Amino acid sequence: MQDRIVEFAGLLRRSGVRVSTAETLDALRAVHLSGLSDRGFFKSALRASMVKRTTDLPVYEELFDLFFSGVGDLVRANAAAPGVADAEDLSEEELRALLERLAELLRSGNLNLSELAKALAMQDSGELERLLRELMESGNMPRTETNYVPPGASKQMLDMLGAADVSGEFERILDLAREQGADEAELDRLRRYLDKRAKALAEMLKGLLRLDKEQEHRAEERQKDRERLLEKSFYYLSPTEIKMMREAVAALARKLKNAMATRNKHTKRGRLDVKETIRRSIEFGGVPFRIRFEDKRRERPQVIVLCDVSDSVRNVSRFMLQFVHSLQDLYSRVRSYVFVADLAEVTRLFKDNDIQSAIHKAINGDVVNVYAHSDFGKAFTQFQRNHIEAVDSRTTVIILGDARNNYNAAQEWTLRDLHERAKQVIWLNPENRSTWGFGDSEMNVYGKHCDFVEECRNLRQLHKVVDILIAG
Amino acid sequence: MVPVDAAYSSIDEVRSRLAVQRYICDNNIATVVYLATRLGKPLLIEGPAGVGKTELAKVIASSLGAELIRMQCYEGIDEGKALYEWEYAKQLLYTQILKEKISDVTAGAATLAEAVDRITSQDDVFFSKRFILPRPLLQAIQSEQRSVLLIDEIDKADAEFEAFLLEILSDFQVTVPEIGTIEARHIPIVVLTSNNAREMSDALKRRCLHLYIDFPSPELELEIIRLKVPEAEASLAADITALLQVLRKLDLKKQPSISETLDWAKALVIMNARNIGDAIVKDTLSTIAKYEGDLRKAEKELAGFIDKKKAADKAKEAAATAAPPADTKDLLH
Repeated sequence: MQDRIVEFAGLLRRSGVRVSTAETLDALRAVHLSGLSDRGFFKSALRASMVKRTTDLPVYEELFDLFFSGVGDLVRANAAAPGVADAEDLSEEELRALLERLAELLRSGNLNLSELAKALAMQDSGELERLLRELMESGNMPRTETNYVPPGASKQMLDMLGAADVSGEFERILDLAREQGADEAELDRLRRYLDKRAKALAEMLKGLLRLDKEQEHRAEERQKDRERLLEKSFYYLSPTEIKMMREAVAALARKLKNAMATRNKHTKRGRLDVKETIRRSIEFGGVPFRIRFEDKRRERPQVIVLCDVSDSVRNVSRFMLQFVHSLQDLYSRVRSYVFVADLAEVTRLFKDNDIQSAIHKAINGDVVNVYAHSDFGKAFTQFQRNHIEAVDSRTTVIILGDARNNYNAAQEWTLRDLHERAKQVIWLNPENRSTWGFGDSEMNVYGKHCDFVEECRNLRQLHKVVDILIAG
Repeated sequence: MVPVDAAYSSIDEVRSRLAVQRYICDNNIATVVYLATRLGKPLLIEGPAGVGKTELAKVIASSLGAELIRMQCYEGIDEGKALYEWEYAKQLLYTQILKEKISDVTAGAATLAEAVDRITSQDDVFFSKRFILPRPLLQAIQSEQRSVLLIDEIDKADAEFEAFLLEILSDFQVTVPEIGTIEARHIPIVVLTSNNAREMSDALKRRCLHLYIDFPSPELELEIIRLKVPEAEASLAADITALLQVLRKLDLKKQPSISETLDWAKALVIMNARNIGDAIVKDTLSTIAKYEGDLRKAEKELAGFIDKKKAADKAKEAAATAAPPADTKDLLH
């Protein structure tokens, strides 16, 4: 069992669940205490000691069943039960009688059968499971790419099981029965039964191959899923992925918040606060037992976000808005605007609603017409005219858009003006960098007036951008 | 290793002893509690608010007859609040009282250096256990009997505090520079709870056994309501549970928890509600829905639920009215 658990830990790791050696040891001790007899206890014990993140629980459930019950289920599914032998419908007693007869045969003659053939013929499920499991764990299972089992594979597995010629062995059983004077009817019954068992073996081997592949496959898939989400372009998210992404963004925001909290703490202690120290000393009869320091105020940046919410970049805007607003307490002030051709402020929306519904309202046409053609020049002019006082020398302005202006006037002076007033201007473009400046893209024109322009197409890039923001 | 005493001897015993404390749990919870007490490992419990995380720690303590030492975490909690503090005021007071004694001690000293030496030889008096104010962690370590240390809402504390906690949880000893190292007499049963306001560090998780408590299954919830609010009408309790299952599937701002369910059931009992269709049921919905939007959604669900139930009842009635003739006939014969 020990090896099984260590191996299972390896499988979990390959699926992206972090399991340390110490935790594997815990699992071993826990299993020792909980015992193996009850599957529920066993499962709980492993889970408590190895899986510590709630997000990993579904992976665990899936792999546990596959790993610990897979082979057993396979053997049970292929056991000969009464009625399984479709042609002659053996009753329970008949089956029992048959098995007794077989046991007698095996005992009486020196047939020199392989373990597999014996277990197979005698319906010894436990032994069968053990043999098949050992084979699977040997790590030498033949690999196939499809569900098709290559002709050599079964042979190879039988060789490894030490039972290269099962049907030959079954023949020997029948020969023995004939020698002992069994009549035709009985021989026939035995032959049919053994044929069925041989077929069942073929099924089991096939199933074993599939199981082996599935385990590896799941592990790889899980790993890939995670990475894919990080790299996946915001353009092509399915509704479920949007949900996953939402959680990922929230987690990322939390992580950054933590990082910021510690960073703040370290720089918090300022100079000696004489006034406060003296005041505190009064309760100790004038002895300054407690020295007080001034809190150093870390200047928190102000952020203004201008989000293009036209069809092409809506998803990116969604996550940017979520990000900035879930990090609100890191900034002294966040103001957000959305635009397509017209521009409108949505800061209030975020105050009055929870984040998700505010975002939903902001990008679905409740505040600006999202069916218009993008006009960055017009939107920027409106911002310049109506909201420019919001920008001062402490403000970071983030503009999110693909800069595809539909050949309208760029009005680049608005951005130049903005750049002069603000602390920094950051442009995030969800388009691939190689397409910037082609067609109606004004990225190069606008880019001149920005402190930096970043490609922001997926979570990894978003992460990088926010890091820069906070450091600023 | 300190002997593991006062623990449960089997998983079933955990279940039965917790049940005595009126805490119903499934096999998973019982297994993990058993393991945590037997392995002497801290237990980290996560899950939505109000599913009985803190309660579990409390019943573990009472079922084992151990003292419960609770430490509530909050942003900015530090060693002074968690481990120990020197009682400056008391020390100062003693200094004042002992001023005369000090002049006795220093009396007859030939030089200033000698006087200082004499005082130095006494200064242990001031940094002794007498002046230490033990906070929860030190209390748990010093405890004469095995205690249950509940570190509540660890996610509220800062990351540094978590690191500090790690040190204590791995060694169960505390070093006070002026006194020396204090080792635990009994390893306490440590229970940490987290509402997942932030992800705990992997280092902490590695040292703990992990338990995720989710909302209970409908059967379990019904059992809990029956146990805690036995006065509630059986059919009403069943309806409440069924309705809550539906509500938890909705996209609510705050999901109704078990504790709120129990509050609701109690409220309904006080208000003499017997039937889910009673007007009072609708009026008391605010015990489980705490936001305006949630409340409206819940009301809608409730109305739908009642309609469905009425339809079902009617169908049953119709079946019943169709049946009686046969029944009466039977009776007559």
